[in-house]
Amino acid sequence: MTRLSAFAASVAAIALTASVAQADTFTIGLSNGWVGSEWRTQMIEEAQAAAAAWEEKGHTVNVVVQSANVDVPGQIAHVRNFISQGVDAIIINPNSPTAFDPVFAQAKEAGILVISTDAEVSSPDAIYVGIDQTAWGARGAEWLAETLNGEGKVVAINGVAGHPANEMRVAGYRSVFEQHPGIEVVNEVNANWDQAQGQQAMQNLLATYPDIAGVWVQDGMAAGAWKSIQDAGKTGDIAATGEIRKDFIDLWTSEGLNSGATVNPPGVMASALNVAVFMLEGRELKEPATAGQYGNAMYLPIPFIDSSNLAEAAAQLEGKPGHYSYTSALSIEDAEALFK
Amino acid sequence: MTSLSPTADRNPFAAALERLPFLPALLILVVLVVLNGWFEPNSLSYRAITGLVSTYLALMMLAIAQTYVVMAGDIDLSVGATLSLVNVVVIVLMERWGGGGGMVLLACFVGILTGLACGLINGLVVAALRLQAIVATFATSIFFTGVALYVLPVAGTPAPAAFWRTYGGRILEIPFVFWVVAALALLLVLLVRTRLTLQLLAVGDDAQGAFQSGLPVAAIRIKGYVLCGLFAALAALCITGDTASGDPLVGGKMTLYSVAAVVLGGSALSGGKGTVVGSLVGALIIGLINSLVFFVGTPSEWQNLVQGLAILIALMAGVFVGRRVGQ
Repeated sequence: MTRLSAFAASVAAIALTASVAQADTFTIGLSNGWVGSEWRTQMIEEAQAAAAAWEEKGHTVNVVVQSANVDVPGQIAHVRNFISQGVDAIIINPNSPTAFDPVFAQAKEAGILVISTDAEVSSPDAIYVGIDQTAWGARGAEWLAETLNGEGKVVAINGVAGHPANEMRVAGYRSVFEQHPGIEVVNEVNANWDQAQGQQAMQNLLATYPDIAGVWVQDGMAAGAWKSIQDAGKTGDIAATGEIRKDFIDLWTSEGLNSGATVNPPGVMASALNVAVFMLEGRELKEPATAGQYGNAMYLPIPFIDSSNLAEAAAQLEGKPGHYSYTSALSIEDAEALFK
Repeated sequence: MTSLSPTADRNPFAAALERLPFLPALLILVVLVVLNGWFEPNSLSYRAITGLVSTYLALMMLAIAQTYVVMAGDIDLSVGATLSLVNVVVIVLMERWGGGGGMVLLACFVGILTGLACGLINGLVVAALRLQAIVATFATSIFFTGVALYVLPVAGTPAPAAFWRTYGGRILEIPFVFWVVAALALLLVLLVRTRLTLQLLAVGDDAQGAFQSGLPVAAIRIKGYVLCGLFAALAALCITGDTASGDPLVGGKMTLYSVAAVVLGGSALSGGKGTVVGSLVGALIIGLINSLVFFVGTPSEWQNLVQGLAILIALMAGVFVGRRVGQ
């Protein structure tokens, strides 16, 4: 055992000197545990592009990617593979909020920076760089309340009950609607972030409540809900939140929908990567990442699309495939501004 | 196991294979270890091997669980759900009772009882009610998942730090998981020497014959399922140690991996042929394939595809080696 650990120590020593010798080269591991949507693919592609952009600044940022449909133990294996490989930082879109505490502790012990994005994690050994899902939920609700002048019946179509991001978003819109006594939430249903189920749910809601004025609906389900609204011939009578894929933005523009979309940009991982590089350089954040329920979050701005900037969003998506999402990310300069 | 086979005196390799049907799997394991070390030398470091064992100990346990029913020609598609249920039961009890040492042990004990109960239910449904194992255990898996969701509706709820720090920590400078492996080896050696293993294989080989020679076939199959439940519960304790939290769906995807590990380890799904050591090796093969796919630098969009292909290749290699040596 002693010989083995001596061997391991010498290997670690060599690795250490190697990384000191080339301080401007960083290797960052990206882990994604679910490949069921184009959004995740775009997230990884944008992060890879962000890493490549560092070349101009004289830095070499290599990314290694593990992306597959895995369960929680499978994603823990991702992290362990990165530790074995000796990456400098790990950026993860985690499959569980709490299950990574032990393995992140091991990563930190190995001197690796861990950043989660898109979903917050409870580990004190990691930070979160991404949007505040509660604020995301609230932003769409504010738009809806304003558009309806604070009056009218509203329904909500949510994602997966019990999913942490869903619960935060629900808490977000509820807190806003509570401040508007004229807004009455008549029903809240779950359609599991599935476009077809969103469409079905909207049909049922329209049949049950013919007089609804507003719909608060998340992500891709919005395209389904709007389909039902159009089929019912109520396009002009209902205001509903929208989503950010090109297909929907095009429909929105051509049909003149009364919609507003809170953006959860796939660029969050690219933002996290730019933050990670500055942290690896040893720079300190002006404001330490202490937000959120776990006290380790740094929240990014949440863009919003409504009629005032719809044309701009459409222009960004010009020539992209229909499933491509409107995006935004911290540029290298934006990220640098966050550091001392 | 079936030492009466006439092939025993044909050649020494065939004889060895007859006694130790997991040899081809062991060979594949060695090849995978070498390949992993070739593409990522750090993957053979002490820390990386400790990590590999911590990650795949649960799958090893689950593969062993599956082996005890597969030996008798049965199958258990509810091992993953059993694992999830035990995981949430243990987590919820540890939270209710506080994180004290005695209470943590008691919660683990209740977890093991839960696993045994799941195994007993499966055994009764399959062997006493005589429902087809594959569908009956599929149904009980949905039932167990339902119970797990009732116990803990949302993934989360942290385990007491003492619990996961023990699992990820060291005792006398040796990682805790290695102690578990040693205890497991001892337990397996003891179990192999019991009559039950032989009886399960006899039932799997020829249930009718076993019945006619006076073996209590139904009781033996039920015991196999109970043993399966026990090891699924142990797997759940490993998962709980490695993830430090509860998740009512954590084991769902592990069921078929456990079946794959059993087959990779040289057991026949038709029963009558199988070793727990083989299944243990099979689980490690799956783990090493997953790491290798990454270490060779497979682009992310191909990782699932390559992983599936690699498991198929390992399966074919096992059959090929087995046939070659067996001739």
